Amino acid sequence: MNNAVTLRGIVKQFDSVTANAGVDLAIDVGEIVALVGENGAGKSTLMNILYGLIEPDAGDILVRGTRVRFTSPLDAIRAGLGMVHQHFMLFPSLSVAENIVFAAEPKKRGLLDRVAAEHAVRQLAGRYGLNVDPAARVADLPVGIRQRVEILKLLYRSADVLIFDEPTAVLTPKERLGFFDVLARLRDQDKAIIFITHKLDEVMAISDRAVVMRDGVVTAQLETATTSPRAIASAMVGHDIDLTSRVPTGHPGQTVLVVEGLSALGHGAHSVRDVSFSMRAGEIVGIAGVAGNGQNTLIEALIGLRPIDTGRIEVSGQDVTGAGVAGRRRAGMAYIPEDRQSVGLADAASVQDNLVMGHHGQRSQGGFLRLRALAAFCRRLVERFAVKITDSRQPASALSGGNQQRLVVARELAKNAPVLIAEQPTRGVDISAVEFIHTELICHRDAGNAVLLVSADLAEILSLADRILVMYEGRIVADIARARANEAEIGLLMAGQRPT
Amino acid sequence: MSPPVSIWRWLAPMFAVTVTLIVASLLIIALGKNPLVAFAALVDGALAGPGLGNLQATINRSAMIVGAALAAGLALRSGFLNIGIEGQMVVGGVTAAITAQWLAGVPVLGLPAVLLCAALAGGLWALCAGLMQLRLGIPLLISSLILNYPAIYLASWLVGHPFRDVTSGMAASPRVPAELRLSPVAGTEIYLSAPIVLVLAVVMALFFRRMTLGYAARMAGMSPRFARASGISVDRLGAYVVFASGAIAGLLGALAVLGEHHRYIDGMLVRPLYAWTGLMAVLLGGTGIPGLVAAGGFFAALSTGAMGMERAADVPREISRVLLACIILLVAARGSARLGGDKG
Ligand SMILES: Nc1ncnc2c1ncn2[C@@H]1O[C@H](COP(=O)(O)OP(=O)(O)OP(=O)(O)O)[C@@H](O)[C@H]1O
Ligand SMILES: [Mg+2]
Repeated sequence: MNNAVTLRGIVKQFDSVTANAGVDLAIDVGEIVALVGENGAGKSTLMNILYGLIEPDAGDILVRGTRVRFTSPLDAIRAGLGMVHQHFMLFPSLSVAENIVFAAEPKKRGLLDRVAAEHAVRQLAGRYGLNVDPAARVADLPVGIRQRVEILKLLYRSADVLIFDEPTAVLTPKERLGFFDVLARLRDQDKAIIFITHKLDEVMAISDRAVVMRDGVVTAQLETATTSPRAIASAMVGHDIDLTSRVPTGHPGQTVLVVEGLSALGHGAHSVRDVSFSMRAGEIVGIAGVAGNGQNTLIEALIGLRPIDTGRIEVSGQDVTGAGVAGRRRAGMAYIPEDRQSVGLADAASVQDNLVMGHHGQRSQGGFLRLRALAAFCRRLVERFAVKITDSRQPASALSGGNQQRLVVARELAKNAPVLIAEQPTRGVDISAVEFIHTELICHRDAGNAVLLVSADLAEILSLADRILVMYEGRIVADIARARANEAEIGLLMAGQRPT
Repeated sequence: MSPPVSIWRWLAPMFAVTVTLIVASLLIIALGKNPLVAFAALVDGALAGPGLGNLQATINRSAMIVGAALAAGLALRSGFLNIGIEGQMVVGGVTAAITAQWLAGVPVLGLPAVLLCAALAGGLWALCAGLMQLRLGIPLLISSLILNYPAIYLASWLVGHPFRDVTSGMAASPRVPAELRLSPVAGTEIYLSAPIVLVLAVVMALFFRRMTLGYAARMAGMSPRFARASGISVDRLGAYVVFASGAIAGLLGALAVLGEHHRYIDGMLVRPLYAWTGLMAVLLGGTGIPGLVAAGGFFAALSTGAMGMERAADVPREISRVLLACIILLVAARGSARLGGDKG
């Protein structure tokens, strides 16, 4: 076979953390490699090195057999590499089309030819079944759609070596299938593809080979055809793990959240129209829907980040319609936002500052923070949620994606709020952490709280939620108890069809 | 990759200063003078002089610059860019000069009342700019800047007409009654503003590190969306810090009136460029308190030193402006070069 890229003895040290400790990896053309491993194993670092974003301390990179040295992604792009990052790298104030054609724009008289660009994007989107509105401003889009934009951006540039860092973390099942079709087609065109994921079914479905990383080195390489999810999982975590847990149903008690006739203006098609539902203590209610059908708008309106036009919201019997975020949180809401990087965290702030947000009020006296209590609180959460950090003063941006997610989840769960809104709570965390966060959500429910779970992953909703609401075009089109739910039917509802 | 951030933060200004010194040497050589003599005169003019008089001048100047930097830094660290420090200082200064006339002879409480009025006036002036952003959507960067001009002209008019000291030839207010003046630190020529600003710096460091509100402000400064989603009402917080920022500036103006000139003289807070130099100190030293104090002191030394250089080595003091501009450009370039994200 033909070698596309080879990494040899890659080493990268961050302060006291060795993110990559001598990694060897070779990828052939016409091959899809799934790169898997626990949070903080060094996957993103390795790919960022390959893509020229980070310079390795030691090691060689070979592209098609020749040694290269990238000092910036521009070098990598020139050498035929392309990458979709775990954290989006889009210009929020530019349109979808402008982002996709960036640096390779169709020009007319030296200026960007907007019409041609939008046309090209529409065609590309149509060809790969990833629907986007080319004229929409990226800042207005939910993360699910931004993910599509990132993928299209890479496809537009027609690179030979494609790197995807958790591209499917916020795609719905249908989009994911479409994306896999795209990957398979690219493989047949003799491209080399590396994709990072935490979902073993994806590894099984699309990859030719699974490369497992652990503590900065490659610990196993398994041919997908001859391995099992279980074998991959145990190579990842270093011991056997159980992949078949069943979640017992909850015991709903008193009503803790009432939403009546809620309408709120979102961006374009993302408005919420006349939504009513309620939640009871001790139940997990899942919201299923294709990204962009108003889920984000609904959640933002619920937590108080978005003004509502009509309707009423009640938390534990208290009318909070007129309250802001602070008032709603005080009334008993907590919130895990899907956009962890800019809403869930302050990237530049320390781990401790991020963890204590909202808990600092109780740990203060006469306007002064009780630093020792805060440090102790931070230590407790880091330990309980197994967040991989070197120092509680390091900035959140220095943590791996999954560890950042753990910070957000830890902080919000620790609020013991009667109503927890969890948007994509397991986005980007590894299998043991998914397991762990699911268990924590269930504990939270069983402690007599309600959880509103929004997830692009229908399997996650089906396994956790006691009741499932399906959203389509800003309305709730179905309310189904888990016992009666089936995947095919919900899929139809999500697409706007009535099952017969 | 770049060295760890903490080292880089100190390395970058050092680098800027070195490059600047080289540029300045070339300029001085072009003027036909010896750069070593000029720099010796610069250092002597900043830090020595007969009876350490130059050092005391540098300290007095530092107080004003660092004070302005603290005022700007308080807002900036919370995510609000108040660049109207100059106008707020002027409003505070002129308020102090006028209220001092009215409160003459009031025992004990007279002085605190004057300072309070000045701080209040500076704060309210800043708050006007803040409300223009919050209510009308005019960016604070612009609203705070444009409010500088009415402040300066209003003060000119006040001390030029209704509150003019007719016995003096300049546009200046009457002298502050003796019991309301602040005497210098005993045995020196150092005005009381220096120790007060030092205390202020410590208080502000404590505010951001130890106080609940300071923590909220810091978070809002780092990520307003995160702060908002966490239940901090960023708008209200902004109103507080912009008010406090203006109040510090106003207080500073009052200290200069009561402690230094003993009257408000038209232009006394504008011509020395305290506010703008303070803003540059924030740019150079960052919003961390030690860096900001160091940068402010450095700039003060540079400009008092330049006067000495002019006297002793006959090198025009405008050179120091060139130095300053050079440093700022270098630091700003470094800032924008590092804007790209590097995390995946
Ligand atoms: N800029 C940085 N500064 C300091 N440490 C870093 C930095 N970037 C990464 N690290 C550390 O390096 C290790 C590997 O991080 P990396 O992002 O490669 O993990 P990952 O395998 O992609 O994990 P995840 O699945 O959570 O995304 C982590 O422990 C992380 O904290
Ligand atoms: Mg990663």
